[in-house]
Amino acid sequence: MSTAIAPDNRAAFRAGCRAALGVPAAVLLAGMIGFGALGHANGLGLGVTTASSVFIYALPGQVVLVEMVALGASGAAIVIATALTAARFLPMTLTLVPQIPASDRNASLFAKAHFISMTSWAVMMREFHHLPPERRLAYFTGFGLVCWSAGIPGTALGYLIAGHVPTPITMGLVLLNPLFFLLSFVEVREQSSRLALWIGGLSGPIVYQWSPSWSILICGVVGGTIAFLLDASLRGSRGAPPSHSVHHQRSDH
Amino acid sequence: MEALLTLSPRSVVGLWMIVLLAALGTYAWRALGVMLAGRLTQGSPVFRWVSCVTYAMVAALVVRIIVLPVGVLAQVPLSYRLLASGSALAIMWFKKDGLPAAIVTGTSMMALLAWWG
Repeated sequence: MSTAIAPDNRAAFRAGCRAALGVPAAVLLAGMIGFGALGHANGLGLGVTTASSVFIYALPGQVVLVEMVALGASGAAIVIATALTAARFLPMTLTLVPQIPASDRNASLFAKAHFISMTSWAVMMREFHHLPPERRLAYFTGFGLVCWSAGIPGTALGYLIAGHVPTPITMGLVLLNPLFFLLSFVEVREQSSRLALWIGGLSGPIVYQWSPSWSILICGVVGGTIAFLLDASLRGSRGAPPSHSVHHQRSDH
Repeated sequence: MEALLTLSPRSVVGLWMIVLLAALGTYAWRALGVMLAGRLTQGSPVFRWVSCVTYAMVAALVVRIIVLPVGVLAQVPLSYRLLASGSALAIMWFKKDGLPAAIVTGTSMMALLAWWG
């Protein structure tokens, strides 16, 4: 993505749409097909299953919601558990929005923020610094709109074809979503971020067994702080000011 | 609040209310992020700390979904999920622009392992 293909906001919006049509939209589509099938298997209606993709638009939280509904949990417990799973959106938004010029941040940002998902965040963290700052919001909006739109028919489709698709195919589709994010971690360059990925990834399943609802918040705040301090002390002892890691950098980029 | 406590997922209206309240609870984090973002400068120590927190949160969630999944993936052994994810990671690591190849390999390997297992 360069200035050349995004001379104005309209072009940047279209470039964002085009960038989403491919692996990112496929990730959303496959993830939501898997989720639609999950809603069907747990006895939810087509309308409410699809509505969760429109309004919640956070796959891990939607999965938690459906599982808890199936278990017969109380309404309050379901709402709280789903909302806690979404805690990641706060720091995700906090790392994206400051990269958009303050002059572009108007009230519409509150609507566009709904498009912040794991997919759009992972891609924007990679692409934003290739884009001129004043084109980033338009690019994000196009990208986010396509991803969000892909999830809605995906959910309905998954619901309707549930039971007609062999289980191994469903398993491949369901793995696609977490796999995409796992693979996107490989492209993260900064040493502090890499440390945070390792600490968060290794502690995630362990803390989850101890506290399923709070594990993401705990791993994020505690693990992220440890990574931040570890990075500072590593750089301090080496006397190296830049935050980009040297020994982790791959030669092919 | 009392109405929330008595909401039951067994009734249609209750389930719709739960989904809409969960949507509100999810969106609140995004909106809070927009509100607080104005106080953050890219590259500042606080910004770098928030980045670390984000990466740790996302990694914790993604690895948990693969290692301790709920739903259909829980039906296959952990070794299958690790084998499929590990092969995809290896391709991503060693092949330039290997994302599509890694995705196709990982997902089809998952399907094949589930088929034969």
